[in-house]
Amino acid sequence: MTDRVAIVAAAKTGFSPSRSDANYSELAYEVIEKVLTETGLTIGDDIDNSISCSHDIWDGQTISNIGITDVIGGHLRNEEKMAMDGSTAVYYGTIAILSGEYNLTLLLAHTKMSQTNRNIVNNDAFEPIFSRKLGLDYTSAGALQATRYMHVHGIQRDQVAKVAVKNLGNASRNETAHNFGFYSVEDIIESPVLATPITQKEMAPDTDGAVAMILASEKAAKKITKNPVWVNGIGSSYDAHYLGDRDLAMSRALEQAAGRAYAMAGIKNPVKDVDVFEVGEEFAHQELMWYEGLGLCEAGKGGELIDSGRTLFEGDIPVNPSGGLLGGVPANVAGLHSVAEAFLQLRGEAGRRQVKDAGVAVVQGQSGHCGQHHCVVVLGRD
Amino acid sequence: MSEQTVDQEYIHVPILVDVPYRFDAGKYMTRFLVELRDNEKIYGIKCPSCKRVMIPPRIVCARCHVKCDEWVELSNEGTLEAFTIMYFPMTDPTTGKPHDPPFSYGSVKLDGCDAPIDHMLNIEPDMSKIKVGMRFRVKFRPREERRGDLADIEYFDPIE
Ligand SMILES: [Zn+2]
Repeated sequence: MTDRVAIVAAAKTGFSPSRSDANYSELAYEVIEKVLTETGLTIGDDIDNSISCSHDIWDGQTISNIGITDVIGGHLRNEEKMAMDGSTAVYYGTIAILSGEYNLTLLLAHTKMSQTNRNIVNNDAFEPIFSRKLGLDYTSAGALQATRYMHVHGIQRDQVAKVAVKNLGNASRNETAHNFGFYSVEDIIESPVLATPITQKEMAPDTDGAVAMILASEKAAKKITKNPVWVNGIGSSYDAHYLGDRDLAMSRALEQAAGRAYAMAGIKNPVKDVDVFEVGEEFAHQELMWYEGLGLCEAGKGGELIDSGRTLFEGDIPVNPSGGLLGGVPANVAGLHSVAEAFLQLRGEAGRRQVKDAGVAVVQGQSGHCGQHHCVVVLGRD
Repeated sequence: MSEQTVDQEYIHVPILVDVPYRFDAGKYMTRFLVELRDNEKIYGIKCPSCKRVMIPPRIVCARCHVKCDEWVELSNEGTLEAFTIMYFPMTDPTTGKPHDPPFSYGSVKLDGCDAPIDHMLNIEPDMSKIKVGMRFRVKFRPREERRGDLADIEYFDPIE
């Protein structure tokens, strides 16, 4: 048995709206080769478990991992696929090592959003008899969520847009982001409307790319690197599938997931105890909701928190210094990218987006319409 | 105990939305398909470690987990390893048109390669006329019909 699990390496491809130069395997191998080379580990002798994160309908392949078992080291060995957000791959990888069954686990998340139609793929996530025929997708459902959230708590239009101003600005310091720039609140609100109130600059753009990571038991981690990043807490929770069964103005599932992860990591006050956050905001308004679910402010006070400037890169509670999902991160890959970013922050390797003296990081990932599922990971230098 | 009444109605809701895809072939398969389309050549890729020649060409040998980069031109002729005679229509996903049954699928291992290619056999679909071990030759479509996909191979012809 091992007591703790560490991340010992992480790599990401460049992200772009279309990586038409590479198929899934080639995209995956780009990052797998990097983490193996960096650690000196091999699939044959060292890595004893592999977990991939991808999505059948995005990939256009039934059981989307079956075509990449060669590159991920699943040939005549164990390989598991999960189809939720990439943060959940860290959750399962950690549990597998804590069980004592595995020592070194390779994680991979990949998606090529360019190869099909986002609205159709996301429409397929809805229950077929009652909801799917309406054509609802994540954007239209997200717009319902935004309207409800803003109405219940009196959140102002400019407060939502400020999330996009912040994240698109932060993304300009992230070399793998492809969607960035320095915009005003007006620029954001006046960009083309997708579904009121959501505008184009407030939605994570279609993106191709992959992220790989290696998780290690404590004993193995200390042999591989002097600079491991520890997984100190994990939590996961689902809300109802049917939107009508949820309170769209809040996220109970995130509160649950964060509560479990914080308790495991001994986080009592996330505002004081955590140095940097990476969260999965598919739409700008969701970041305000995730502030509340993560306990960074009281319910309904997400707008005031963005107004305060505390979640800016320069603030005392920096959220998404990477630019988050608005900066351009593929679906499914999203949360694993956030964990990779937190890993870089805690190693002091985040370059121009480095948060000073980052010792504890929290990552939140979500999947399903309006964040049905949430996974929270607490990472630490110690 | 199951209770079934003849007048009980159950509703079924059809959903006919198609998910469109445009798959990126990537570096390895692009080279394979260009050679097939432009030069009537079939290339495999050789693992630098175990030396097996694989088809379709790909970036990594699964057995050795090493990157492959040695291209090997394969013969247009090979040996039948397995076959079946199909009695239900299968839609060809590249044309959207069904193959009319009965017809034969065969796995033909081209000379110089360690794995077979599955494709149509241009032979009478009769169990007494097809045997494992028979020799076949690739029949390419005419140049003007080739588009850079596996349908650029029309079928395997038996070698008399
Ligand atoms: Zn090999």
